[in-house]
Amino acid sequence: MPEAVLREPAAPLKPPTLLSRLMVNRDWLGFWFMLPAAAFLVLFLAYPLALGIAYSFTDAKIGQDIGSANFIGIENYQWLIGEFDCKWEWAAFWSRLFGGDFGALGALCKIVGDDQFHLAVFNTLFYTIVASVLKFAIGLYLAVLLNNHLPFRAVIRAIVLVPFIVPTVLSAIAFWWIFDPQFSIVSWSAKQMGLATENINFLGEPWNARWSAIFANVWRGVPFIAITLLAGLQTVPPSLYEASTIDGASRWQMFRYITYPLLTPIIAVVMTFSVLFTFTDFQLIKVLTNGGPAGSTELMATLSFNRAILGGQRIGEGAAISTAMIPFLLACILISWFGLQRRKWQQGEAND
Amino acid sequence: MKHVNRRSLLKGAAAAGAVGAMSQAGLLEFAKAWAQAAPWKPEKGAKLTILRWKRFVQSEEDAFMALVAAFSKATGVAMTVLNESLDDVQPKASVAANTGQGPDLFWGLYSLPHLFPTKVVDVTDVATYLGKKYGGWVPSAETYGRSGGKWIALPIGYNGNVINYRQSLIAAAGHKEVPKDTAGFLDLMKALKGKNTPGGFALGRASGDGNAWVHWCLWAFGGNVVDAKDKVIINSPETVKALEYAQQLYANFIPGTASWNDSFNNKAFLSGELSLTNNGVSIYAAAKADAGKDPKMKAMMEDTNHALWPVGPAGKPTEFHVAYPMMIMRYSKAQQAAKAFMAFTLEAENYDKWLIGSVGYLTHPLNAYDKNPVWTSDPKLTVCRDVAKRTLTAGGLGSVGERAASALADFLVLDMFASVCTGRTTIKDAVSVAERQAKRIYR
Amino acid sequence: MTDKTAPLTDSSEGMRYLERVPRKIVTVYVPLGIIILVLLFPFYWMTITAIKPKEHLLDLNTHNPFITWSPTLDHIYDLLFKTDYPVWLWNTMLVSVVATVLALLASVFAAYAIVRIRYRGAQWVGGLIFLAYLVPPSILFIPLSTVIFNYGLFDTPFALILTYPTILIPFSTWLLMGYFKTIPFELEECALIDGASRWQILWKIVLPLAVPGLISAGIFCLTLCWNEYIYALTFINATEHKTVPVAIVTALTDGDQYRWGSLMAGALFGSLPLVILYSFFVEHYVSAMTGAVKE
Repeated sequence: MPEAVLREPAAPLKPPTLLSRLMVNRDWLGFWFMLPAAAFLVLFLAYPLALGIAYSFTDAKIGQDIGSANFIGIENYQWLIGEFDCKWEWAAFWSRLFGGDFGALGALCKIVGDDQFHLAVFNTLFYTIVASVLKFAIGLYLAVLLNNHLPFRAVIRAIVLVPFIVPTVLSAIAFWWIFDPQFSIVSWSAKQMGLATENINFLGEPWNARWSAIFANVWRGVPFIAITLLAGLQTVPPSLYEASTIDGASRWQMFRYITYPLLTPIIAVVMTFSVLFTFTDFQLIKVLTNGGPAGSTELMATLSFNRAILGGQRIGEGAAISTAMIPFLLACILISWFGLQRRKWQQGEAND
Repeated sequence: MKHVNRRSLLKGAAAAGAVGAMSQAGLLEFAKAWAQAAPWKPEKGAKLTILRWKRFVQSEEDAFMALVAAFSKATGVAMTVLNESLDDVQPKASVAANTGQGPDLFWGLYSLPHLFPTKVVDVTDVATYLGKKYGGWVPSAETYGRSGGKWIALPIGYNGNVINYRQSLIAAAGHKEVPKDTAGFLDLMKALKGKNTPGGFALGRASGDGNAWVHWCLWAFGGNVVDAKDKVIINSPETVKALEYAQQLYANFIPGTASWNDSFNNKAFLSGELSLTNNGVSIYAAAKADAGKDPKMKAMMEDTNHALWPVGPAGKPTEFHVAYPMMIMRYSKAQQAAKAFMAFTLEAENYDKWLIGSVGYLTHPLNAYDKNPVWTSDPKLTVCRDVAKRTLTAGGLGSVGERAASALADFLVLDMFASVCTGRTTIKDAVSVAERQAKRIYR
Repeated sequence: MTDKTAPLTDSSEGMRYLERVPRKIVTVYVPLGIIILVLLFPFYWMTITAIKPKEHLLDLNTHNPFITWSPTLDHIYDLLFKTDYPVWLWNTMLVSVVATVLALLASVFAAYAIVRIRYRGAQWVGGLIFLAYLVPPSILFIPLSTVIFNYGLFDTPFALILTYPTILIPFSTWLLMGYFKTIPFELEECALIDGASRWQILWKIVLPLAVPGLISAGIFCLTLCWNEYIYALTFINATEHKTVPVAIVTALTDGDQYRWGSLMAGALFGSLPLVILYSFFVEHYVSAMTGAVKE
């Protein structure tokens, strides 16, 4: 957009009365126009965000006012994160090191904290990283495929988006049924084809359950990424490809040196969204595995729900788990923000 | 609100019709006479909302709705019955207790009233009245119902969580009956797996079945979360033995039990995939209900039988059956009506029919009901007669209080077993994790 | 990147002469076919489960599970007439539509103020609103639940109607800002000189020109509301106040038996309104989705 033209709309040409009317009222007018949106965002977003941080320092139970809860400082965090339990013995250290037992180095010093919380942090990071990478790879591949000259292109594009339209919970139920321990259609097919002799234990074995949940997440996330990247691909001028074809570039070189650089800003934004929403995912896990088996798929979001709403209704502890997610989110936002800023400056675009 | 209300009542009326026009008329007459004589007079224009766990046996719910309808007609109290799945009752009740709004009565699980003992109404008068009239409460009912010298809830019924098995498959695995000791039981599970007809117990976060078997296992080997003084003693060699035993059992389970909730074993058993599991008698009841129209279900019903839990090194039965306590919330505006309703349900004229309707799924907390015909009419149900007397209570040796309720609500024992069985952690780590958690709860 | 003047043509067109059909089958059609098959299979499985007779569902060996020769409407009948499903569907629609309307109203004002009134700090506020989009419900639901209790909104539709706009406003404001920027400033200048108020300009000039943007934002907001789960799960207690995603998970079990047929029928019917809406406005939906990201 030609920002600069709009910024100061030909002010000197206008009669002073109009100008003063605009200038005098501008801030107040802006205030009134912002009021509805600001009211919603302050009352139901900013205030709860601050309140959540405040609750994390209390032992509040569900339904309890912040005023009537006991302030307990960082006890919730101490309980969750735990403390180092180090038995640092040089003898043991050397013998292990020279025995080639590098894995055991960690065993000398370990954190004794809330095992479920530690596991949830690990699961959340694993789930986010693996699912995001897969979503990006498959999404980009699908976008490139869809960018071909295809019959019924509009229809195919519409169909591809359907998993993204359908509410997550409803498709999660379908996956729950597909991953059933006894009546899974996948197990049945595998047995029929002779690939398996007994039912596949999709959700009852820790790693199987993690991969099953990641599969369902990728299934839902790929369409969003593919269609957005497709929109980006279509803005690449074909003349660039024609020129490079004449220069004898291979398909990979064209992708690497034309498509990818032009696509980078949109990739950055799309992946920020994808990573953030995967990191804070709740519904898929809640329905599909409910954190099981034995907490192997528990995410930070589901764990905070279990602690605060189910179980012992410890709002304070649940709030501490939620609050612990904020640093991760901030890091993620900052990385993409600065990455994007650099890009935009390089391309000389307006910064907004 | 209206919507559900009407539907529930209609259903109740229709079900009452099914039970038999005569018995319904009888029920109503009794209800009217009872309402005249009862010491609790419902408030004028009283309305009662009850939130109960969602039924497992259709005919149990029918009988319950029939008595709700009779009570409503005789006393003029408008009744609404809400149903929530087993796992959802506790969070809903806690929210209601803390916010002071919601249903008047909750019918929940285990030690639920002990999560908020000050938020429920003292029902000592109802308990005394019923206890005197029906041969006294069983000991576990007193434990679950009383807090600080007064009754805070009435355990309206118990659900016997017993071993459900297929006779033919047990026989094929070389056993005439389910062994009475833990070692023999492990042999049976191994033999069943060997015949490719494995059994299995739920290890997901299943409030009913999951809790029942892991507590049995822990206690059978002498392990305990706390001692009689509520001191945490879970880190013991007995606990380790129990976990080792569970690990061996799990190795012979059908795949997938770690993702099971309360419903999975029912469907697996009924479809013939599962030879042995732990459950209420609802699997048998479901087969029996469909036996008329489906020959497969008839065969399933005939082949299904129940057994009590084996006894372990602890040397005495260590069963953990589900208690269903009913409580009145303090914020209720119709507390007299609620008390009248609680007393009404446990009167012989109602409760006998309810027990029969629940075909053994519910067991009575009052001694006089030992004579109910349901326990003798079908020998396969007799095992459930004494479950209220046999069961240990939440908290084991310790007190049934808020802390025991918290430990149960956090699935402390269940998660310890599940981590070990699925191989997620070692036994040592699982025990120390559970110990740390228990110490926070019991601090 | 945002150079929208570039013709939207097929990127491969320029070198299509390189592609021969057999090669294209292997490199394009087969992988595309596999991906689409995987993307659509769960829906097929939902549909087939919803119309299969009950006894076939748990019996994979005597009946081929992929097809059914004796379709039944029993599950759908049970769902529609023996549960509160119509009520849940109504709740979901009510909450989604009202929340969307509220959010759009608030966003129109906010976006207009940021782009055109340009009060002091407008840029800054625009950035804050974008940040608000990145605050996920899963870290807000715990404190929000206590706020909801305190405001007396617990277990009422207002608990959702008033909280959903916080998810919608940042996104739709951002989208509408983009649309408003494309409207020529000269139009407004003329109106201002003629003595029109800001209010009149917004309603009479800007909004009619931003209708495509409003439709895009509205549709996207509706899908977001429909999809919302954690607030609905936490703030709603009574079965008859629940929305479809929550009710379906908690209410379609018979004690310890899942009614898979009805569950799948419920999932299917719950998705249907969105899919229909989407099929009419697919271009708007896509432009909303990609537009929000590209801006």
